Amino acid sequence: MSNINIDAAKANTYDVIVIGSGISGGWAAKEFTEKGFKTLVLERGRDVQHIKDYPTTNKFPYEFEHLGEPALAIKKENPIVSRCYAFKEDAMHFMVKDKEHPYVQEKPFDWIRGYQVGGKSLLWARQTQRWSDFDFEGPARDDFAVDWPIRYKDIAPWYSYVEKFAGISGNRDGLSELPDGEFLPGFPLNAAEDYFKGIIRNKYPNRHVISARCAHLSKPNQIHLDQGRAKCQNRTLCQRGCPFGGYFSSNASTLPWAAKTGKLTLRPDAVVESVIYDDAKGKVTGVRVVDAHTKETTEYYARIVFVNAGALNTNLILLNSKSKRFPQGLGNDSGVLGKYVAFHNYSARITAEYDGLKQFATDGRNPAGGGYIPRFRNVFKQETNFKRGYAAGIYGSRYMERDRSAIGKSLKENLLHAKLSPWIMGSHMMGETIPKESNFVNLSASEKDAWGVPLLNISVAYDENDALMKQDYIEQLTEMFTEAGFKNITPNVASQAPGLDIHEMGGARMGRDPKTSILNEWNQLHTCPNVFVTDGACMTSTSTQNPSLTYMAFTARSVDYAVKAMNRGEI
Amino acid sequence: MERRLVIKQVLIMAGGLALLPSCLREEGKSTVQLKNITVSLDEENLLAEIAETIIPRTSTPGARELKLHLFVLKMLDDCYEEADQLRFVKGLELFKEQTRDQFGKSFGKLSVHQRESMLSKLENNPSQELSAFYKITKEKTIDGYLNSRYVMTSLVIYELVPGRYNGYYPVKTA
Repeated sequence: MSNINIDAAKANTYDVIVIGSGISGGWAAKEFTEKGFKTLVLERGRDVQHIKDYPTTNKFPYEFEHLGEPALAIKKENPIVSRCYAFKEDAMHFMVKDKEHPYVQEKPFDWIRGYQVGGKSLLWARQTQRWSDFDFEGPARDDFAVDWPIRYKDIAPWYSYVEKFAGISGNRDGLSELPDGEFLPGFPLNAAEDYFKGIIRNKYPNRHVISARCAHLSKPNQIHLDQGRAKCQNRTLCQRGCPFGGYFSSNASTLPWAAKTGKLTLRPDAVVESVIYDDAKGKVTGVRVVDAHTKETTEYYARIVFVNAGALNTNLILLNSKSKRFPQGLGNDSGVLGKYVAFHNYSARITAEYDGLKQFATDGRNPAGGGYIPRFRNVFKQETNFKRGYAAGIYGSRYMERDRSAIGKSLKENLLHAKLSPWIMGSHMMGETIPKESNFVNLSASEKDAWGVPLLNISVAYDENDALMKQDYIEQLTEMFTEAGFKNITPNVASQAPGLDIHEMGGARMGRDPKTSILNEWNQLHTCPNVFVTDGACMTSTSTQNPSLTYMAFTARSVDYAVKAMNRGEI
Repeated sequence: MERRLVIKQVLIMAGGLALLPSCLREEGKSTVQLKNITVSLDEENLLAEIAETIIPRTSTPGARELKLHLFVLKMLDDCYEEADQLRFVKGLELFKEQTRDQFGKSFGKLSVHQRESMLSKLENNPSQELSAFYKITKEKTIDGYLNSRYVMTSLVIYELVPGRYNGYYPVKTA
């Protein structure tokens, strides 16, 4: 090797490489740089800097070309991402277009992605709930997947740790199935939601309606102000990026924090082709990157690699990281990699009307979205003909009814003098799905993308358990709505493909046994100890909570472990 | 070159929406740049009369002043299926014919009452084209109106930054 090459290698060498700048990658960057490690964050998409790169954030509805609706040509060119609720003129620049990044759907799967610095943390729905042991013990108790190698006590302090920094609003509800956290004040329920809460409390001892817990600064602490963030201003235009930093994102929070240490190198437009395993050294030495624009290949080196590319892309990278030692993909002696993918079942909703409480409406907007009903099915014991259960969102609102029937002066009069509707109540399910070997991703044998990386083949589907659970959600919510005296109860079971929930998980699951899992209790590859996975790919099961908070906690915990292991000379 | 520059800078505002003027300003063509449909200046003016009949000027601006007819054309051009666009254009033709047959003069020359009664009959018209034409025009005129800069800043205020949430906001029950 010439000196030039040695110098180049040196210039490309870091203590740590983090693949991905989304919600978990941002946390890895923050933790490592704070602890003094020279950290390279690789992001396959373009740079998005807080505020500066939120082009739509202060726009009024009439400032969008079609009042927010994507033009038909765009919808037709992007049938997949167009099905996502957030694909509107105000945020579509943060979402991957179908043609730019193709994948193979062995079964229908709407893969919604955000390829830019910050990833989907700019777009997420910001709901944050802790897991409890009812969740971690699920697979062992109900005989599916493999036993989680950790329990609530292992992660509880790390939930606290990330909650304090991210800023989570919520109430201390005292529920064993949904542990309380380090909360900023919760966003209160409105009159109709509160009424429903009271009805449910009286009627069902094990069902609870609580304020949705979310990553918004209802009342910022000094640590949030230190990040340059301010109180949430109830805009509920979060998907555009928030100029106040009112909600947590990598862009507003962890990445600038990491940058301040002087230890961060952020490299956008860097498509990771594979993780480099050196057969001679018997360990991973770095990462191979293809420049998104020039297609030039560069290698970066580090002692430790964190793979936080987003659940399915993390699987893709590991599967594509082949070596003599790991011919089936990095850490994949067991053949489990890419399998046991699961998601959340969001395929049922229900709406109704409530005629009471007309002396109240709402004023302003609630960034939490309303209420949350933690899983109540099969929590303390098995009680239904399906496994596990669902959480539910619950929200009430009164909208302005504008009578459009007339024309002329009376139409104008009617439009400008709207009437308040009765309370419209709504709910959606968030069902746990059971990870199965038959729900998997693998590499396309024949097709590659523009960067020479094999396309991901996705084969994920609902099963009978999901259908039974969905039926039960409809029945139970109908009953609960009926108890509350709601009228015009209308279930909506229009099916949606898996993926649209944007909660895909698993493929590189955690477990105790290297024969049946990829990661150990520290999110570390069983067979390749200087590589860690702390994004959705690590999930052994899905439970019903929105997953991001758990990824954050896993990441901080895992970095802490990795640093200690490095200091002990183990890795 | 210079002329292009001027055109670039003079966007047409429809309800607050910035629309590109049609590049060449061909005689008799619509003033707004359209990609998929062709509408003459006469038809554009007719659409303005129709929109103004739907939302007339009172003590506050009506559809014509807010250029909501251009908003209708913009939405039709960009957000509707080709089949709907064809129905709309055909419906517009039929509408012109019908007006002539019925009144012997153009829509713009009719009294307010005549105009309103003429439009009301289109709501559930047996002709698919007429009904599609009218439904799209009315719906988008109303959408454009409610979401116009004028209405959102002067009549039904849109708050970009509410800074508050009250779930027990007292209102009159009547």
